[in-house]
Amino acid sequence: MQTALAFYALGNLFYGTDAAVAQDASSWREIETKYIFGFTTGSGIGLEGEKEFSVDSVGRFGKRDGHYAATETKYEFEVTPSQFVQIEFGALGSTHNIGAMTTLDGRNQAAFGGGFAEFRYLAVERTSNNPLSVTLAVEPTVRFIDETSGAGVHNFEFETTVNADIEVLKNRLYAGFNLLYEPEVTRTATDAIQREAQFGGSAALSVRLAPNLLIGGEVWYLRHYNSPTLSDFTGDALMAGPTLYVQFTPKVFMTAAWNAQVWGREAGNSLTLNLSEFQRHRARLKFAFEF
Amino acid sequence: MTAATTTMRILIPAAVGAFALLQPVWAESAAEVRVTYSNGQFQPGVVNAPVDKPVVIRVKNLDAKALEFESTSLRVEKVVAAKSEGVVNVRALKPGRYEFYDDFNASAHGALIVE
Repeated sequence: MQTALAFYALGNLFYGTDAAVAQDASSWREIETKYIFGFTTGSGIGLEGEKEFSVDSVGRFGKRDGHYAATETKYEFEVTPSQFVQIEFGALGSTHNIGAMTTLDGRNQAAFGGGFAEFRYLAVERTSNNPLSVTLAVEPTVRFIDETSGAGVHNFEFETTVNADIEVLKNRLYAGFNLLYEPEVTRTATDAIQREAQFGGSAALSVRLAPNLLIGGEVWYLRHYNSPTLSDFTGDALMAGPTLYVQFTPKVFMTAAWNAQVWGREAGNSLTLNLSEFQRHRARLKFAFEF
Repeated sequence: MTAATTTMRILIPAAVGAFALLQPVWAESAAEVRVTYSNGQFQPGVVNAPVDKPVVIRVKNLDAKALEFESTSLRVEKVVAAKSEGVVNVRALKPGRYEFYDDFNASAHGALIVE
C-alpha cells in the first residue's frame, strides 16, 4: 500500500509525464538553463530583479584506499541586477569523513569553510533566431578548510568559466558546454605555499520530458597542474554521469547530478584512475527558492 | 590630497552625471508597447517592437487580482497589482519572438515580435 502511494505521489510530482512527452513542447514556457545540466552550468542569468536563495551541496567520495567522504555546501544568495549581469555570494560549509587512508590523515569534522562571490555576464543571448547563449563567469573563493584533506588552511581560488548552451529542439532538448580554468593558492598550517590549477571542460545533454522535468547526462574532462600557468601537469580524469532537474513550483526547483570517474591517470605512475587529485564519485544536490 | 582621492572626486560625479544624462535619452529613444490584462488574458496576444531600440512595456491590469508579467527570453519580471499599471523596461532587442506570460496564471501568455 505504501509503495503504491509512493508511486502515486511520484506520478503527481511529474504530473502528466507520459502525456507531456507526446505534447507539443512549443506551447511550454521557456526554461532557465543555468541548472539543467548537473555540474555543467548553463548560460542563464535569471530575470532582472529576481532574487534566489539556494543550498547547493557537492559530495566527493572514494580515494585509493580507506574510506573518504567530503562535502562542501554553498549557502547562496543570487540576484540579477540587470538584463546582462548576475551576482551571487554566500558562505561555505564543509564536512570530512576520512579514515584508514595512506595519503590523508583521518578526521571526522564539520566546519565553516569560507565564502565566495560569483559574477556572471551574458555575452551572447539566445533569441528565436539564434539557439546559442554564452555567459562568462568568475568566482573568487576563500577557504579556511582544505577541500580534499579537511585540514585548516588559507586557500584562495579564482574560478573562471565559459558557460554555453544551445537549444537544440525548441523547449525540448538542450546541449550545454563549459570551459573551466581554476587557479588557486594555498597556505598550509606549516606556512608552506602550494600553487595549483585545474583546467578542463564539459559537455552535457538535457531533455525536457515534461514542462517541469528534465533528465540528461554529462561528461567532464579535467586536468590538474601544480602551477597556475598550467606548466606542471600532475594528472587528469574523465567523469560522467546522469543529471536531473525538477521544477516543483514556478519559484522552487532542485537539481541533482552524479559523476563517476570512468578514466584517469596520475603523472608518474601506472595506476588506473586519478584518485590523487580527483575522487571515484561526486554528487550534487541543490534546492533553490526564488523570490 | 592623494592622487586616489582626487581621481575619485572626479570619477564619481562624472559617473553620476553620465548616468543622469543617459536616463532621458534612453526614455526618449525607447519604443512603447501597451498590453492590457483582462479576464486572465493578455490583449493583444501579440505585440510588435522595432529592432535595436529599448522597449517600454506598459501592462495595464484590469482584473481584480495581481499578475506577474514574466519572460525568460526578455529576462524581466514585474508584479502588477490589481486594477493598476506596471512598467517594464527592456533592453534594445535583436529580431525575434520573445514570449511572455503571467506567472500567477498558467493559461495567460503572449509574445513580443521584434522586427
